[in-house]
Order: sequence, then C-alpha cells, then structure tokens
Amino acid sequence: MNEWLIASGVLLLALIPCGIATFRGSPMERLLGLEMAGVIETMFLVTFAFALNRPNFLDLALAMGLLCFGGGLVFARFLERWL
Amino acid sequence: MSEIAVAVLLALSLAVALFSCIGLTFVRGYFNRLHYLAPVTTVSTTLLLAAVVVKYGWSQAAIKMFLIWGVLLLINSVLTHATARAARVRKLGHWTPDPKENIPGAGGSR
Repeated sequence: MNEWLIASGVLLLALIPCGIATFRGSPMERLLGLEMAGVIETMFLVTFAFALNRPNFLDLALAMGLLCFGGGLVFARFLERWL
Repeated sequence: MSEIAVAVLLALSLAVALFSCIGLTFVRGYFNRLHYLAPVTTVSTTLLLAAVVVKYGWSQAAIKMFLIWGVLLLINSVLTHATARAARVRKLGHWTPDPKENIPGAGGSR
C-alpha cells in the first residue's frame, strides 16, 4: 500500500460530507454539494491513477473536471429560471 | 527525503479537502457555504500538483496534472460565480446590486 492509495481512500471518505450536503437543504445548497463532489472525484481519479501506477488514467480526471463544469453550469442555469 | 515531502504535501492537500467538505456540509447559509469550494480547487489541487512534481519530476504525468490543475482553477471560479448568480436571480429576480441593499462598494449605481 503506497501513499497514493491512502490518499484515494481519504478522498473517498471526503465524499461522505458531500453526499450529506447533497441530500439536505434547499436545491441551491444541494447543488453546492454536487459541485464539491465533482472536484473531490477529480482529485480521487488523479491519486488513484498514481496508486495504480498508470499515469495514462489522468485523462479520466481531466474529462471528469470538464464534465463537472458543464453539469454544474447547466444545473445552475435551470435552478435560476425554471426549477 | 522526497518521499517525506510527497507524504507531507499529500497530507496537507487532503486535510484542506476534508476541512472544506466538512465546512460545506455543516455551515449554515448558501453564500457562506459557497466559500468552501475555493480552498479545494486552489490550495488542495496546488499541493497535489506539487506532490506529483516532487515525485515524478517534469514528466508527462506532471504536465497532465498541470493541465488538470489549470482546468480546475479556471473552471471553479466561473462555476462559483454562476451558482452565486443563479441563487441571487432565484431569490430576487435579478442579480445586479439594488441601491436599497446598501452593499459596500456597490456605489448604489446599476
């Protein structure tokens, strides 16, 4: 077990508070939980790629970061006007 | 020596991430919670980038990590602004400052 694998585990634990934030409060507060979870997942994919010693998997983290941006922006736009 | 540096940088990065997640969950008020998105994307990812650079040097992996860091840094500021604006429009119907609100620095002009 190397330090990157431990870091991956800790980042998975950090998703628990994000999950709690996503399941309670107003819709806008839930969106914040989702956005935070997106960043933490991106960091998890980075550390997990190094834990597996496969730096090529960093592309997944990059894709995750970009998709979180699109998802968050669309949610914000919908919550602003329609939901 | 570099192993210790990597471990310390990773531990600091994770501590900031955990602190921000707990803060986001337990602090009251939407706009107060919004602040906790920033430390993760600025401090935490920068420390993660530093750990990768210390471990692997300026290799392909480090350059990719640098790209991820840049994307997160740019994207999160835009996303924070968009969600804050969305919350304000949802509440008030507009997002520009109102003279009645007496916001410092707004000057009361639209």
